[in-house]
Amino acid sequence: MSERVLRLRIHGLGKDFPLRDGRDTAARALRRLVTARDGGPGCIRALVDVSFEVHAGEMVGVVGNNGAGKTTLLKLIAGIHRPSRGEIERRGDLSLLSGLGVGMVPDLTVRENVYLYGAICRLHRARIRGIFDEIIAWAELADFVSAPLRTLSTGMTARLAFSIARHNEAPILLLDEAMTAGDERFRRRCEEHFVACRGRDMAMLMTSHSLELVERFCERTLWLRSGEQMAFGETAAVLSAYRRWAS
Amino acid sequence: MRMYDAIDLNLLRELTVSQYKLKDQSSFFGFLWSFLNPLLMLGVLFVFFRMRLGAEIEHYPVYLLLGLLLYTHFANTTSLGMRVLRATRELTTETVFPKEFLVLSAVLSSAVDLVISTVICLAIAFASGIAPTLALLWVPAILVAELVLVAWVSFFLAAIFPFAWDIDHIFHVLLRALFFVTPIFYDPSFVGQGLAQTILRLNPLAQVIAMLRAVVLGGEGLALSTFALFVIPGLVLLGLGFALFKRLEPRFAEYV
Repeated sequence: MSERVLRLRIHGLGKDFPLRDGRDTAARALRRLVTARDGGPGCIRALVDVSFEVHAGEMVGVVGNNGAGKTTLLKLIAGIHRPSRGEIERRGDLSLLSGLGVGMVPDLTVRENVYLYGAICRLHRARIRGIFDEIIAWAELADFVSAPLRTLSTGMTARLAFSIARHNEAPILLLDEAMTAGDERFRRRCEEHFVACRGRDMAMLMTSHSLELVERFCERTLWLRSGEQMAFGETAAVLSAYRRWAS
Repeated sequence: MRMYDAIDLNLLRELTVSQYKLKDQSSFFGFLWSFLNPLLMLGVLFVFFRMRLGAEIEHYPVYLLLGLLLYTHFANTTSLGMRVLRATRELTTETVFPKEFLVLSAVLSSAVDLVISTVICLAIAFASGIAPTLALLWVPAILVAELVLVAWVSFFLAAIFPFAWDIDHIFHVLLRALFFVTPIFYDPSFVGQGLAQTILRLNPLAQVIAMLRAVVLGGEGLALSTFALFVIPGLVLLGLGFALFKRLEPRFAEYV
């Protein structure tokens, strides 16, 4: 492992969310500006002292029960949330696949959504124009190009989104339950893509409730429980401990 | 803060286009509907105020139309900009890109309406007997000044809104008040020289409306200093609003 290029180093990462009761109002916001800070009794500790690394060509799994902090971890790494403690060292651009098709607009056509979602996935219009037919063919939506997105099923939308997102070639890929939508054939094609990504030396971090998927793809795995790091290491050992706890 | 690249600008463009299409204004009737709103207000104000407030004002219908055009644009766009992070909650909380693009796309998508509405207003002005002059060359610059105004107000509001949702209600009360403290249907001299006149002078929307009326109705070119005195503070405030937005950006996903 040590000879591989380091892409992501997380050290002592922690995140607290302030406890909130009801709607935020101007008066409350002013009071918070003057008094409140992250941490302390008025906060929920979503993540506590998490440390691990991901190297190029490696896929690391993140497992844990609901509310364990898996999505929070990915959003912290992506820069969507600000860490309360610890350090995130990123070497290269990253792409976050958190819910396929986020940003797609049901009232726009499939064609319009390809350009919009492509832009969200950091693909330039000129590039999308060049691969447009391939995107549609991979998604198997040739008959729906001019149809509004809302006429597509959830599975078809996920297929379209993945068909676009897979062209993002950022060296770090964060996957948040990205393969939950879609049928068996779709999942298999996604998996083929991830194998290809590993071959291209991409560093991948994948949260999943499917232990079978993590077992098959991830060399190392991180187990989170209520925001705390229970284990990080070889997948078989971590999953074995996780299964013991879960049962 | 990193510099924007071609990919970022492409995203801004796509977000702007999609917001414009979503407003249902890519079709002719969709746009017509948005223009009918100020036109309807024009009819009401003209019927009620032309005998008194409008009696001394030359080309009163066009005077009203220009005021309503900029006020409506200001009110609609700042409201849209304020709410955009929440309206596109998934984009705010699940995607990785500079969130100021959401505010900018709201401002830019409305700018398309502003330009088209201005062209229609000018056509109405000429049809009603106002002669076109070289002063009209100032119109694009005045529209830019309006966009700077709308952008800095939108950035401040969008930055605060996730933390204080009642700002929405407060701002709408202020917008209603703004309609009356901006000389839309009356001449600035109507309010006399006291506190009300001072408020008019400090009201940036009143300034930009006055500039547009001066070039369209008065045929007067603007003094560069007048224009600069409006735009430079606007750009400073835009910088401050943007800085506040970027400072609070890492917290948006927690609050929207």
